[in-house]
Amino acid sequence: MIAELAPKFEAETGATVKVDILDYGSLLTKTTADYIGDTEGYDIVTMDIVWAGEYAENGYSVELSELIERDADEIDVDDIYPNLMMGLGNYEGQQVAFPFAGYANVLAYNKTRLDQAGLAAPTTMEEFVTAAETLTKPDDGLYGFVANGQKGPASAQDWMQYNSEMGGAIMGDDGMPTLNSDANVGSLKVYRDLFRNSAPPGAAGYDWGGREESFRQGVAAMMQTWSVGAPGYYNPEISKVVDDVAITTAPHSGDMAPSYGIGGWGMAINADVSPEQQEAAWAFIKWLNSPEIHKEFNLMGAGSFLRKSEMTDPDLLEKFPFLPVLAETFENGNYDYRPRIPEYPQIQDFLGTAVNSVLVGDADPKEALDTAQAQAEELF
Amino acid sequence: MSASYWFQTGRRAFLLIMLVFFLAPFLWLATTAYKPSSAIFSIPPTFAFSPTLDQFRTIFRLFDVWSLLRSSVLIATGSVILSLALGVPAGYALARSKSRYAMGIAYFLMAIRMIPSVAALIPFYLMMRDIGLLGSWMSVVLINSMLNSAFVTWLMFSYFRGLPPELEEAALTDGCTQFGAFFKVALPAVMAGIVACVLFCLMFSWNDFLYPMFLTRLDSKPLSVALLSAYGTKDITWGTLGALAHFSTIPIVVVILFLNRYFVQGLTKGIH
Amino acid sequence: MSAIADHLPSGLIEPKGMAFATKRKVFLVAMAVPVVAYVLVVGIWPLTQGIWYSLYDYNLIRPQRTKFAGIDNYIEIITDPVSRQALINTAIFTFGAVFFELLIGFALALALWRDDRFNRLALALILIPVTITPLVVGLIFKGLLAADYGMIGYFLAQWGLTDPRGLLADQHAALATLIFIDVWEWTPLVALILLAGLKALPSDILEAASVDGATGLQKLRIIVIPLMLPAVLLALILRTVDAFRVFDTVYVATGGGPGNATNTLMLHAVKQGLEFFNIGRASAIANLTLLIIALIAAGFALMIRHADRKANGK
Repeated sequence: MIAELAPKFEAETGATVKVDILDYGSLLTKTTADYIGDTEGYDIVTMDIVWAGEYAENGYSVELSELIERDADEIDVDDIYPNLMMGLGNYEGQQVAFPFAGYANVLAYNKTRLDQAGLAAPTTMEEFVTAAETLTKPDDGLYGFVANGQKGPASAQDWMQYNSEMGGAIMGDDGMPTLNSDANVGSLKVYRDLFRNSAPPGAAGYDWGGREESFRQGVAAMMQTWSVGAPGYYNPEISKVVDDVAITTAPHSGDMAPSYGIGGWGMAINADVSPEQQEAAWAFIKWLNSPEIHKEFNLMGAGSFLRKSEMTDPDLLEKFPFLPVLAETFENGNYDYRPRIPEYPQIQDFLGTAVNSVLVGDADPKEALDTAQAQAEELF
Repeated sequence: MSASYWFQTGRRAFLLIMLVFFLAPFLWLATTAYKPSSAIFSIPPTFAFSPTLDQFRTIFRLFDVWSLLRSSVLIATGSVILSLALGVPAGYALARSKSRYAMGIAYFLMAIRMIPSVAALIPFYLMMRDIGLLGSWMSVVLINSMLNSAFVTWLMFSYFRGLPPELEEAALTDGCTQFGAFFKVALPAVMAGIVACVLFCLMFSWNDFLYPMFLTRLDSKPLSVALLSAYGTKDITWGTLGALAHFSTIPIVVVILFLNRYFVQGLTKGIH
Repeated sequence: MSAIADHLPSGLIEPKGMAFATKRKVFLVAMAVPVVAYVLVVGIWPLTQGIWYSLYDYNLIRPQRTKFAGIDNYIEIITDPVSRQALINTAIFTFGAVFFELLIGFALALALWRDDRFNRLALALILIPVTITPLVVGLIFKGLLAADYGMIGYFLAQWGLTDPRGLLADQHAALATLIFIDVWEWTPLVALILLAGLKALPSDILEAASVDGATGLQKLRIIVIPLMLPAVLLALILRTVDAFRVFDTVYVATGGGPGNATNTLMLHAVKQGLEFFNIGRASAIANLTLLIIALIAAGFALMIRHADRKANGK
């Protein structure tokens, strides 16, 4: 979508913007290679929140604090959710990126089916599990729940979400991994049972594509997902549940404070490029994230919210009635449920294997997480 | 006669079954390009849909399709030319050589092809940076040719081995130069082999993904890399993939069709 | 064949004395030098770098923590159950894929041998799978085989032919499914190599055999197969080498799962190298892979030489 807006920036400023669209895996690999080789391939790189630690430790990108302070009025910093400013770009005091697309983890559900079953949208994990079981009718091809089961980032990331909602944590307060804590083992058991009892059988092999398809086809009645996909559920061109879908805040265990997941993308400026290019890149970032342009960006269906003012904007609200849910999530969210440390890719990989082997039925949750923990400890 | 008739019919039937097997998955991907996104999957799956050209509009909006196509063509032609220029003479030399090192050299070349890409990639990336080729399609040609020339050498080695040396010897006796004997006498006789090499190099460099992903920039990116942009974090945009697949497949099928006739002519023109 | 050739002794000819043999030798060496030089410059450099890296605990993301590790990286591969499983998976995958590719590829090549318009078109169309980026091939089959909505997977699951989770999420079927995908993608290439071999067969021998009343099957057994051995072995080497290095299709189709059921050596190495930037470990896995492939290929190369001698000895 940035590719679609870029010509407008060019027309307004005369600068040239080239947008390279990469798949997710290539993006990390290629940009890291660009930084390591000092090859100045890109001026601006979109950075997934979980790469922040790697960026900070290696000084890949321009430290933005001073620029943000300098242009604070122009940017209207106070309008940006502090959680997003921190989570999407700040790592241990270093502002490695400027937030540009905030994603909230929300609960998307098929209201028609919940109504038919006489259920309200679950607010606690306990209600969620019960509702998922009630809504599952394999003979009719209907299931209560869907999440990613495929080995790798897919299963790891989805489980970390549910894990944090059930009181688990990946890292301890001392900065060491705690993958096999009792809370984590407990949540993985609940998660496994959810898959066994309430998910479409194929979910064990799903990544994001399969999961979203399953919900849009009306097979799964409930799914926790990034808000970025939400505009799509209301779009009849790609969705078959347009009239049934509703969105609310994610559930969490009854005995704890909400732990809504926050994710998304920041924009980092390559530290290797010349000061002029850095300044030009900064101008583009400011422009793209200015209230008017960012609103336009979202009206196009980008699903990448950032500003408090967007949550109450009548034009946006009319198109996306779920914005209050996002506001609530951004206000009270947790952006560290996936630890944004440099070791994150490996930890995610160990968890991805552990969770997947539990879901396909051959591993005991405790043993699987013990293995992952042993592997993770070697990194520190 | 009737045995031969049944044999021919059986052969065609077998080929038809094989064609369906090898084409159906690709055709499914291609048809996603004409479906509205909501109709790509349905439960239960169905073949029915109302066609639309939206997906093509999307790819032209998101990508500079012609630039992608141009890069793919440049990379493929460059790789074919360089690999053949290096590999064909070497295959000839090894086939005609009486040295006991010949086999060793051929084997060494094959071993090079086995280098796992992950081992070669980062050193090669830095090397391209140092000679200033990073980001250009030529860097992809350089690495593709390294892998392909070994294969061309091997294939041509066996073709030249199958070609009796008498013709060249005769030409040499008649006063032909060494290169002339190779170029004018031996080469035309192994045209089928040359065409086979062209086909291989073409296909290998056309579908290669990992090297161009690293080595090219936006303006030198080929189709194979662009195809993968459809595999996003949150979803797979099948329609985009299907529409782009048209551009990555049709040109090469046309080229193969064209080359096919030479693939065969080599035989009739040859020594037999 | 030409009349002049009949008068000449085959093998080394010396029309202008020893000087000619030397000139010939120089010429042949000059023809082979460019490719060897090229490969040395472009190929050997990365390879030596890789051996060097494999002796270090070296991560590109944390270069400041680099230290000499000796053969630790290699020891860890051997002691790590994940790597061992990956080695076994890779071996099964390679064997299964190459076996079926050669079998079907040979049948295809025979069927396409005769030169007519139908066959030319069929050959061009059959080669389509080879021209698709393997990552996209993985995606196609992931879409088709999805148990809940895939065009193929849905019906297989409905009719109870597969695990309800679908082929790619079934521990016992996933590796076989990946072999199937590889066969789909690469059999046409094998067919092309073998077809190239068939087209190089001397037609006079086949005609002579027909005149002598040999049946198709006899011709196949006595003439075609022995003469085709070099081409078969070439296809065998090529596919073994590439199948042993498989990673793209696996990466998208299963990610190496379920559990570690389809984890392959290269997937393991690519993850270490290009996702974690753990260059030391990745290089060690890559070198080990290279060593294994080189040994297998050396075996094949010896077979080629043997077959070649036999064929030329006739």
